[in-house]
Amino acid sequence: MKEQERAGTENDQTMKLAPDEDLMLDVRNGAGETLGVLFDRYHTPLYNFYSKLTGDRTLSEDLVQEVFLRILKYRQSYQPGTPFRAWIYQIARNARVDHYRKTPKHITFEPEMAPAVMPKDSAQHLEESELLHRAMMQMPEEKREILILSRFQELRYDEIARLLGCELGTVKTRIHRAIQELRQTFRQLESGMINKDKNSGVTKFVPPRRAGNEV
Amino acid sequence: MKCEQIGELLPDYLQESLNEEQNDIVELHMAQCADCRDEVAIWKKLGLLPVEQPSAASRARFEAMLHAYQTGRSDRVSARFGRAGRAAGSNIWQWLRTPVGAVAWSAALLVFGIFAGSYYGNRPTRPIANQDEIAAMHTELTNMRQLVVLSMLQQQSASERLQGVSWSQQEEHLDPQVMFALLHTLRFDGSVDVRLAALNALSRHAGQPQVHKGVLDALQEQQSPLVQVALIDLLTEWRDPDAAQRLRNFEQTPNLNPTVKQRAEWAVSKLN
Repeated sequence: MKEQERAGTENDQTMKLAPDEDLMLDVRNGAGETLGVLFDRYHTPLYNFYSKLTGDRTLSEDLVQEVFLRILKYRQSYQPGTPFRAWIYQIARNARVDHYRKTPKHITFEPEMAPAVMPKDSAQHLEESELLHRAMMQMPEEKREILILSRFQELRYDEIARLLGCELGTVKTRIHRAIQELRQTFRQLESGMINKDKNSGVTKFVPPRRAGNEV
Repeated sequence: MKCEQIGELLPDYLQESLNEEQNDIVELHMAQCADCRDEVAIWKKLGLLPVEQPSAASRARFEAMLHAYQTGRSDRVSARFGRAGRAAGSNIWQWLRTPVGAVAWSAALLVFGIFAGSYYGNRPTRPIANQDEIAAMHTELTNMRQLVVLSMLQQQSASERLQGVSWSQQEEHLDPQVMFALLHTLRFDGSVDVRLAALNALSRHAGQPQVHKGVLDALQEQQSPLVQVALIDLLTEWRDPDAAQRLRNFEQTPNLNPTVKQRAEWAVSKLN
């Protein structure tokens, strides 16, 4: 009995270190519980992918669950030997597209959807990250997505190219354009803020966020 | 070098995948060009955006989904029909142990084996072969979601039941079982929030007569003024033919909250 337990713990350890691809093969072969390890690895990155893309926390959580449900359902379509990360992001993008097909977007970004979690840094950083968030949300979704994929999800450009179904060169051009646009929007927002500061004298910039929004 | 040419190198510069010579070119240009320098600065600034943490319930929800999935796979019948079904399920197992059951069981396995053999034997080598298969997968996925919703609506914690309700809205088509579960939640759930959410989920299915009837019936039993007002509003919005009469009866309820009474009167005047 004790040996079995020890074997179990060792097995857990091996599972925690195993590459995603091996774990996914286990899931594909019917070991659904192994998906828990992949969930631990991916649910925060996926959640951030969605929340930075949509600005909607509840929706992001729903979509993350949907991704793992789909992994279970379509596990047979995972091709052994192919990178798991690319596959899961493919599923993640499809889940989002399907969601918007079913419930078309009628709300655009509103300031109250800004994240409540902010870095515990200086006030300047707080303002900058707030402005950056807004600048991101003002960009067209395609540009925002490519920035998120390359900057936050740490996908390589060739992985992104495969994911989006385009050439490597196109990915680089798109990323550069997205950075250019983000920079313009960010600087515009920033100068708007400075002007506001000058005009209002004492009034400091207060991010407009509605209280009690988290129902 | 011009900014456009630098722009081509910039993405690789940001991922530090340029060779030394190209790297120097970019840095030399940046020393003179404020715009390009600022682009790099913005990219770096993006690191200020925090990594957000999903809620703690996320893991529990995943576990519930996984559990429902695994239960669904091994014993779909009992999972689909909830508690009553579980009893029926165990009867089936007992029946399968009897000699007659064993014969039926073997025959079923044989038929399944022949079917599976011919199916997989003829299947083309591509993993997702045809439209039918994809459609079947979709149906299975929909069923899974319903299973998860049904299981979540039975959870102890109100927040999980709330999530169950919110999940039920992912499907455009309302499965009859999910509908009954939602109507049950609307009438009997202990939490006002969950009841309101269930009403909201049901409100999208005005076309279904059973939903209409269920919502009308729920009116008499509600004690919470919040839910009562939400029900009255929905009935007014639907312009349900039976609503006016029911609301008139409802107004007569003893000890009715004055605001609710007022709302009901307003609704009756709107409906007439």
